Amino acid sequence: MAQVKLFGYADKISVKPGDTIDIHVSADGVDTADAKLVRLIHGDEHPDGPGFIEEEVACEADGPWAVRKQYTQVGSYLKVDDPTNVLALDGPITLFAFIYPGIPDAGLRQCLLARWNNDRNFGYSLGINQRGHLEFWVGQGGEVDYIQAEAPLLVKMWYFVAASYDPKTGRTEIYQEGVANRYNSLLGKVCPIEYRSHVTETFRFRPKHLAETPFLIAGSQDFHETRGAFVSETYCGKIDRPGVYGRALTRVELDEIRDGKPPKPDGLVAYWDTTAGYTDRGIGDVVIDVGPHRLNALGFNRPVRAQTGWNWNGRNDCFRLAPEEYGGVEFHYDQVVDSNWDKTRTVRLPDDLKSGCYAIRLRAGPGKGLSEEHVVFFVRPKTPKGKVALLFPTATYLAYANEHLSFDAQIIQPMTGQPPIVTEIDIEMYKNWEFGFSTYDSWADGNGVCYTSYRRPILNMRPKARMSSMGVTWAFPADLSILAWLETKRYDYDVVTDEDLHREGLAAIEPYACVLTGSHPEYTSEPMLDAMEDYVAGGGRFIYMGGNGFYWNVAFREEEPWVMEVRKLDSGMRAWQARPGEHYLATTGQKSGLWKNLGRPPQKTFGVGFIGEGFETSRPFRRMPDSYHRTVDWMFDGIEGEIIGDFGLAYGGAAGLELDRYDLTLGTPPHAKIIASSGGHSDNYMLSIEEILYPYPGLAGSQDYRLRADLVYFPTPNNGAVFSTGSIAFCQALPINGFDNNISKLLSNLVDAFTKPGLLPGSFWVNEEKQWK
Amino acid sequence: MTGHIWRNPLYFWGVEGAEKEVPSIPHKSPQDVWDETTASKAKMLPVGRLRYYYKWPGHGGLTWPRFRYWGTRRRALNIRSVYNPKTMRLEKTIVDKRPIWWVLGLLAFMLAPLAMPASFQNTLLTAGATFSIYAAINLCWMLIIGTAGIYSLASYAVVGAAAFGTSWLSINLGLPWWTLPLVGAGVGLVFGMIIAVPAIRLDGFYYALLTIGLNELCRVYALQSKQFGSSTGGLYGADTYIPQGWDQYDQSLLAYYACFGVMLAGLALYRFIDGRRLGRILKMAPEKREAFAEATGVDFRRARIWVFVISSIGLGFIGGFYAAHYRGVSFSIFSFDTVLLGLAMLVIGGIGRAEGAVVGTAIVILLDKVLLSTGPLRLILIGLIMLGVVLFLKGGLFGIKAQFRAWRDKKKSERRSMRAEKGGEMLPEEATETKDKDLLYWRRYDKMQREFLKTVISPELIEEHRKKPLGQHSEPLERLLLYFRRAPQNDKYAIVAVEPFKAYRIVALSGQRGVAPRIVEDKIYTSTDEAYHGVFLRRVQDLLES
Repeated sequence: MAQVKLFGYADKISVKPGDTIDIHVSADGVDTADAKLVRLIHGDEHPDGPGFIEEEVACEADGPWAVRKQYTQVGSYLKVDDPTNVLALDGPITLFAFIYPGIPDAGLRQCLLARWNNDRNFGYSLGINQRGHLEFWVGQGGEVDYIQAEAPLLVKMWYFVAASYDPKTGRTEIYQEGVANRYNSLLGKVCPIEYRSHVTETFRFRPKHLAETPFLIAGSQDFHETRGAFVSETYCGKIDRPGVYGRALTRVELDEIRDGKPPKPDGLVAYWDTTAGYTDRGIGDVVIDVGPHRLNALGFNRPVRAQTGWNWNGRNDCFRLAPEEYGGVEFHYDQVVDSNWDKTRTVRLPDDLKSGCYAIRLRAGPGKGLSEEHVVFFVRPKTPKGKVALLFPTATYLAYANEHLSFDAQIIQPMTGQPPIVTEIDIEMYKNWEFGFSTYDSWADGNGVCYTSYRRPILNMRPKARMSSMGVTWAFPADLSILAWLETKRYDYDVVTDEDLHREGLAAIEPYACVLTGSHPEYTSEPMLDAMEDYVAGGGRFIYMGGNGFYWNVAFREEEPWVMEVRKLDSGMRAWQARPGEHYLATTGQKSGLWKNLGRPPQKTFGVGFIGEGFETSRPFRRMPDSYHRTVDWMFDGIEGEIIGDFGLAYGGAAGLELDRYDLTLGTPPHAKIIASSGGHSDNYMLSIEEILYPYPGLAGSQDYRLRADLVYFPTPNNGAVFSTGSIAFCQALPINGFDNNISKLLSNLVDAFTKPGLLPGSFWVNEEKQWK
Repeated sequence: MTGHIWRNPLYFWGVEGAEKEVPSIPHKSPQDVWDETTASKAKMLPVGRLRYYYKWPGHGGLTWPRFRYWGTRRRALNIRSVYNPKTMRLEKTIVDKRPIWWVLGLLAFMLAPLAMPASFQNTLLTAGATFSIYAAINLCWMLIIGTAGIYSLASYAVVGAAAFGTSWLSINLGLPWWTLPLVGAGVGLVFGMIIAVPAIRLDGFYYALLTIGLNELCRVYALQSKQFGSSTGGLYGADTYIPQGWDQYDQSLLAYYACFGVMLAGLALYRFIDGRRLGRILKMAPEKREAFAEATGVDFRRARIWVFVISSIGLGFIGGFYAAHYRGVSFSIFSFDTVLLGLAMLVIGGIGRAEGAVVGTAIVILLDKVLLSTGPLRLILIGLIMLGVVLFLKGGLFGIKAQFRAWRDKKKSERRSMRAEKGGEMLPEEATETKDKDLLYWRRYDKMQREFLKTVISPELIEEHRKKPLGQHSEPLERLLLYFRRAPQNDKYAIVAVEPFKAYRIVALSGQRGVAPRIVEDKIYTSTDEAYHGVFLRRVQDLLES
């Protein structure tokens, strides 16, 4: 019997009691799975903590579900909306496009412009063949005729390519010319390379078409008996301003298009102007056909737009300045943004559901490891009730979704200072392209992944998941330790997600007296950052429970909040580097990268900002002299000694993984106090890139004083306050000793004070100091 | 070694497990290895090959009209254009030069009568005609032995049966010569079906035996049948296409070209079957691999019946032509030595290729017919050549090129492994094969690192790691660990959690997306620290062995 495997995702990440939520499940080796609604309380199975805790909740959807294997379309492409089959041309034809191949030598057939049925060999296609040459082929079912260009395509070079065919004579011409300038391509003019190729041959027959074959850009139609129609022969690389003529263009006419002249209307059937449709706020997935039939093309799996085109010449760095230079649409044959599985079950949530973190737990066969799945979602109250809000950083979960670092990144072991510990679930994820990538990975052509979504199974957004490269829990399962603490301490809390904050802004958190973040709220959109800043400025009390927060500027489309875009560039701890000219978010038109580089360092709002990271040991905090001031010493009521947090589920300390520091030069409020700081970090802790202008020996934990986590506190307008922990490992210290420890006590003191209306404790101890001591 | 200590800078911070003084080793400078190494241990030999011929460049801006064989999508020549990695010049190479050789060879054969010395003219023309007929038979046979990979020895039986049948019909019913090949094809069809059926069930030796038996049956039947001329040693008197009124030279010339035409038809048939769908199906389902072919959805049984039927029709056609050519047929067509001579032709030329069948035939016919005067010696010569081919050549004469290349590659790797230092500096000849020249330097750097790090491995270091696998380590241990961690991803050690916090096992990563890590040992470690140390020990061992 096949191994039982269950994978699922929900169409929404944040819901309210009584809402419905669609669960999509794929199963291997089994046709029924036992479903149960559970409330997740604690994730980390580390023996020093309480272990995994879930609570079964009655729900109409409990019980056996019929499940089956579902397939995922891998690869991004554009599908042309051609209901009347205008493009089923069997007379004279010319196909043309500017292309920038990502892996021409992949050894796989890649289609550029295709009305091609790969299963039955009908239609025509311009593409790249297995040998890496440009090729044009036509099929009449069974037999295929083809013509290939002479010079192989070179990687990451801009070309103008075309093929024309005239059925009267059978004459077919393939056209390939390099259009690299000083900026746009990998190689410059110093290379003695002949990019051009013009070949003619005589075809034996004209293409025949099937009515149901779509015209695809960067893929071709295929069929499999258990799967049905799907797209194969997808392409890696960019395509700029492709078009189709209903006549065989001459060499001279093609030369004109190559030189940048607009295609002549005579005989033009379609011309997708990839530069059309840019606004100051970005661009969507529709590529506009400016030809006579308006055959617009729709992107699947988010082809990357806002990319430089063939005529980009280095002067403009954003499509907002020169949209005509941003015709590049980038495709990847291993890109997955949406699994698009059929819905397995619509679940109606009970009306009396307590706000919290929930999952549909699916089990079949052995019911553990791969045969157990938790489809996680968050339930907000119908109307905010609690005093405390726990803000789950779902944007971070998206960024790290299905990261492949342990397997693919050579730098990860030197970074984490340890060999990775992978599980069978990690290996399953690595074995299958269908799970897609995180923003810490690169697509097959080496370009960094800029889109990620939750409409696919996210195997590390499961409660028991551990970050394989680090051997600890990370993001979602780590954040459950905060929820478990709130639960254990019986605080009156609600949960909110990044998605709610992004969509509703301040309104999502305004009703709460105190907001706690997750352990690593690294990815932040502008509306999210604005909402948090307004909340704090408006008198809210905010506890930043983690490290390396509010770091990257990300974007979501209003109508598709499940997809997040980020571009990593220029500085910051980054898994990849966006190419020159491609630093702006296609989703919003904003520059991506670090908030620090955009004028909003996290210090400005939260008092601390990222300083460095390390992964094999954690350290405790030690009280700083300022913590004895009566404005803040109430935080230490019931805490003995100066050392706090010399324990934890993450390497045995509350200060570890990623650390934030107080820095007046980056906008830490001048009245902020450092309550406690960590120290004695090992040399695995290195300063973050954006803090380094010149690297020199000694920029590591045992030799650079800046490598530390600071607990920082400052009051804000209208009796508000911010407390920042500056360390990811902080929340993983909470569960030690049954949540009874000095970190837990410190946090209790804070939350107790923050949930009391009116003035904060110590508010009157602000007179000028006249010290006798 | 004793007496050296390392002081942990984190000791004063009270870091857990940070000992004030850790036994360590004397300081060694990593630069020493660089200073000591001034030359490669392996001798650096000059490499590079002189371009002594001209290579055509790419067409560039010019249009390149490519011609095809009429009615097909095959270009006249398979030309590959590649960038010369040394110059980046686009250069053309004819990947498959066989069409040129075929054209030249067939032209030469066509024009040969013009150059034949008068004294040998008759012998040579006759030998040429015989060669063409045998070549045509062998091409059909090759479809079964080579393309389908079935050891059928019944081909001459099919030819003989068709020849006898048509001769008899021609003599007794007076069929004109031009019907003989067609009738022969019909006989071949029947025969083909008869021999195809057992081929589905029998294989290898048993099928060869069966077909030999069939051959023998035909011989014995004809030998004892009065109708088939048991008294005259064969059937003679069939109608022929050669006008008897012509003079001898003209008759021979006509026969020469008629047979040449049959051989061309044989070549066309071979190309039509071997190079197309049927041939591809058969080649992916040779004997012993039928199960795999079947699992991938290939109906090899149907393909085998088809190839038997088609090639038998061809053989029958040739049999009919044979009768019309020789005006009859003798029993020797069924004799065992005919089968063996035919087999010798295929083996000498090389099984599985048209040129093998044709050139093998040419060699054997030349020896057999032209050196007729040497008597039985020529048969011994043929036997010796066949023996030599079987002993020393894997794929007959036309396999020599590939065999030579494989042998050269073997010698190359032998020489390299003798000269090169394992894991050391790349040799100039290896550098020519490395696209990314950065790797050449990486190899040098890596070698220096390993040489240095081997000198720091000591019991003290291993003990230090065992006590505290994670955290701040002494300078030499930290260097060692940093080197290990920066290794490339393929075959890099990692740990699999068999059961979290209880059981771990060491694996090696693939470094290739989609490929799971492989398990390197069965040992179960009960804690992460033990597993970390297990990985460390393996890495130390690998380093010392390199």
